[in-house]
Amino acid sequence: MKLAESTPKQRIIAIDDHTMILNGVANLLQQKYAEAEVQVAQTRQAGLELIARFHPDLVVLDLAIPDRSGEKASAEIGVALVETLIRQYPTLNIAVLSANTNPLIRLKPQIDNHEGGFTVSDKGWASEEIVKKVNMALEGGRYLPKDMKLGLEFKSEWLELLRLAFQEGLTDKMIAKRMSVSEKTVQNYFHKVQDVLEVYPEEGQNLRIQTGNKAREIGLID
Amino acid sequence: MKRTNTRWRKLQQELAVWQIGAIPGLMVIGLIVFLRLLGFLQPLEWWALDYFLRLRPSEAPDEQILIVGIDEKDIQAVGTYPIPDANLAALVEKLQSYQPRAIGIDNVRDRAVPPGHDQFTQVLQKYDNLFGIEKALPDADGNLVNPPAALPPERVGFVDLIPDQDGIIRRALVGAPTESDYKFSLPMLLTERYLNSEDPAIVMENGIADAEAFRFGSTELTRFHRNDGGYVNADDRGNQFLINYRSGQHPFHTVTLSDVMQGKVPPDWIRDRLVLIGIRAVSAGDTEQVRGVDYAKPIYGVEVHAHVASQMINAVLHHRPWLTVWSDPWEYLWIIGWGILGISLGRFLVVPWKVLLGLGLASVMLIGVSFTAITAGVWLAVVPAFLVLVFNGTGLTAALFYRHQQDLQARLSDRQLLIDTTYTEIHNHPVQTLARILQRVREGNLSPQSFYADLERLEQQLRSIEESVRQKVTLMDDQLTLHDGKKLDLHRPIHELLHEVYRNTLSRTQDYPGFATLVKIPNFEAIENRRLTVQQREAICRFMEEAICNAGKHAERMTRLEVSCKTADGKNWIRIADNGCGIDAAGSNQSRYGTKQAEQLAHQLGGEFRRVANSPKGTICELSYPVSRFWLDQLRQFFKSGYASQP
Repeated sequence: MKLAESTPKQRIIAIDDHTMILNGVANLLQQKYAEAEVQVAQTRQAGLELIARFHPDLVVLDLAIPDRSGEKASAEIGVALVETLIRQYPTLNIAVLSANTNPLIRLKPQIDNHEGGFTVSDKGWASEEIVKKVNMALEGGRYLPKDMKLGLEFKSEWLELLRLAFQEGLTDKMIAKRMSVSEKTVQNYFHKVQDVLEVYPEEGQNLRIQTGNKAREIGLID
Repeated sequence: MKRTNTRWRKLQQELAVWQIGAIPGLMVIGLIVFLRLLGFLQPLEWWALDYFLRLRPSEAPDEQILIVGIDEKDIQAVGTYPIPDANLAALVEKLQSYQPRAIGIDNVRDRAVPPGHDQFTQVLQKYDNLFGIEKALPDADGNLVNPPAALPPERVGFVDLIPDQDGIIRRALVGAPTESDYKFSLPMLLTERYLNSEDPAIVMENGIADAEAFRFGSTELTRFHRNDGGYVNADDRGNQFLINYRSGQHPFHTVTLSDVMQGKVPPDWIRDRLVLIGIRAVSAGDTEQVRGVDYAKPIYGVEVHAHVASQMINAVLHHRPWLTVWSDPWEYLWIIGWGILGISLGRFLVVPWKVLLGLGLASVMLIGVSFTAITAGVWLAVVPAFLVLVFNGTGLTAALFYRHQQDLQARLSDRQLLIDTTYTEIHNHPVQTLARILQRVREGNLSPQSFYADLERLEQQLRSIEESVRQKVTLMDDQLTLHDGKKLDLHRPIHELLHEVYRNTLSRTQDYPGFATLVKIPNFEAIENRRLTVQQREAICRFMEEAICNAGKHAERMTRLEVSCKTADGKNWIRIADNGCGIDAAGSNQSRYGTKQAEQLAHQLGGEFRRVANSPKGTICELSYPVSRFWLDQLRQFFKSGYASQP
């Protein structure tokens, strides 16, 4: 794979048992992140080993994977892998690709507490759309499809964040101090709130202001 | 995954059943084994051995041995006792004229009994197939009895017998080291001579499997050891074996002194035979306690020696069974096996009369097998096996009556449970739908379309209740049926179940339109849930469903709903808090039923249920119960839940 000389290269691991799709995804990623080092695995076990070895910045995985080679693929195994990753690597960026995200709903409380990026894309989407979501995950963002969300569902910390940011008008640094968390966590909370409010990055838009407007509109803040 | 769960549950149920019968059953086995090791069963096991030996079919008289018994009549005819040396010398001379292989004089001759002492001394020296006796082991007073002085030591055998603690002779002592040298018993010397005359190649040798055992040719005379069979810590010094008495009323041809002197004995009873001369008179006192043969008539010492010699000769020449035992591990395996059979009878036959019948059959089989084994020369531990079989069989029968009672109770409480859950389901779903329809009718904003949709939903809800009742009646399948028909395995962690219930209930935007725009603030942490039974899990889930429904129903202008489950201060907390218009407005009759249910549940869990005002407004519905800490408690619950979920 192509390597850049100076910048710290990003490490991406893709886990999928269909080589065609896997290669497709790997190629897309490679195109998008020319600097990145992309590793692939086809099973849950192989994926876990790779992750333990390479400490990637991003894991892209299909839910329907086999536990080990030669075994049958099932979404349950992918869900179990996500559960393990969330537990073992609380700040890992994860991008899930799946045709059916229903099995993932079981992990909703854990996903809500996960401090890394987390996006879910439908395999049927156009590849640009998938890459967009994968990119979002790499940047610590969050995107869950509508059927995984229960409308306006917030953790109490996120509501506190909205109050501090838009009612008291504090900076991230100040918010972090008041909430006794890191600035990175504050940003992570923002990503999650934005996903619930369905405010996503768009060209020429100020994300913070959009978020504040939406929150006010719904009545989360005065 | 699902399959292993079911299998595990089945195992749990089976374990719970076995717990009733098997744990006490195993304790019974342990107790009997313990009593046996302590020796409490020894008398019973001796009794069983004697009884089985007596029960054996008769064997033909042993033609190889002749007993010349000096009886009361002989003594009267001679006129004096001990029998004078002259008479004994004449008897020996008369017998020798028929050429027997060996003659043993089982009569104390340590000093001269005139008249005829010289004559007797000559006879003793003249025939080298003539054997005398001594008493080699000191009795309680330390007395020994010397052999006739004229006999060389190699023709002197001891006649010491070794009774068990109950005074009965069951073992033969055939070789014993003394202070001076190694001595043999009279039967042993006679047997050696007899066998050697039969075939010069047969001599007394050391054993191959057991170097300390005697061996003639290929036959090794298995020794007795201190814990053989029913024996516990017996004195096994010297070389001993268990006497396998020759059964029947006439094990040996027995004649009197006068029969021989008057020539009344057929010559072929003597020629080539082993002849034992002894006293068969009660007045002379040489009677022995034997129970292995019919003991209506007195048994004399000379007869015991004949049995011992006969046992050895027939084992070597005719492969008559030796009396042996199993090694300890096999014996205890055998006992445990019968004990487990006893437990199994109760477990698998279930109906008391069948258990008793099975127990009868098993007992007959045990006794039959043990008796057959005795006839084949193996002494099995029939008494302990019988005890564990009967105690476990009947003990379980008794437990079954108890269990029958309990089953009845369990069935009744299952029925009650079914009624309760059905009631809850009707209350939580169709009744709510009906209430909403009624409200709309009252308010006058009922369109035919929405009325039709409501009725359709009502039908669907009633159908799902029908299905879940049917399922519960046919099998307690440990599943929770949610509003939309989705089924949850109640064995999943409780916080996962609660999260599913929360999501599912808040998705009911058709019933509760306010849920769509409601801000939900969930917090589901993993909480300890091992001690909960399936019924309790279901009840907790229903509690949450009910509380959320109540909030949706009564909490008008509610904009936020907090739902959480977490562990704090040693308690598990399940909390549903809204910011609606509060308790007072919500305290209608309809919620009374739910409150009662929640209080019952809290009571069962040893916890508390509260419905209090939220700040600044709204209602908090809260269930808390202590975290179970003790493994004992968990174990108890494990068995309890296993038993409760038994069909």
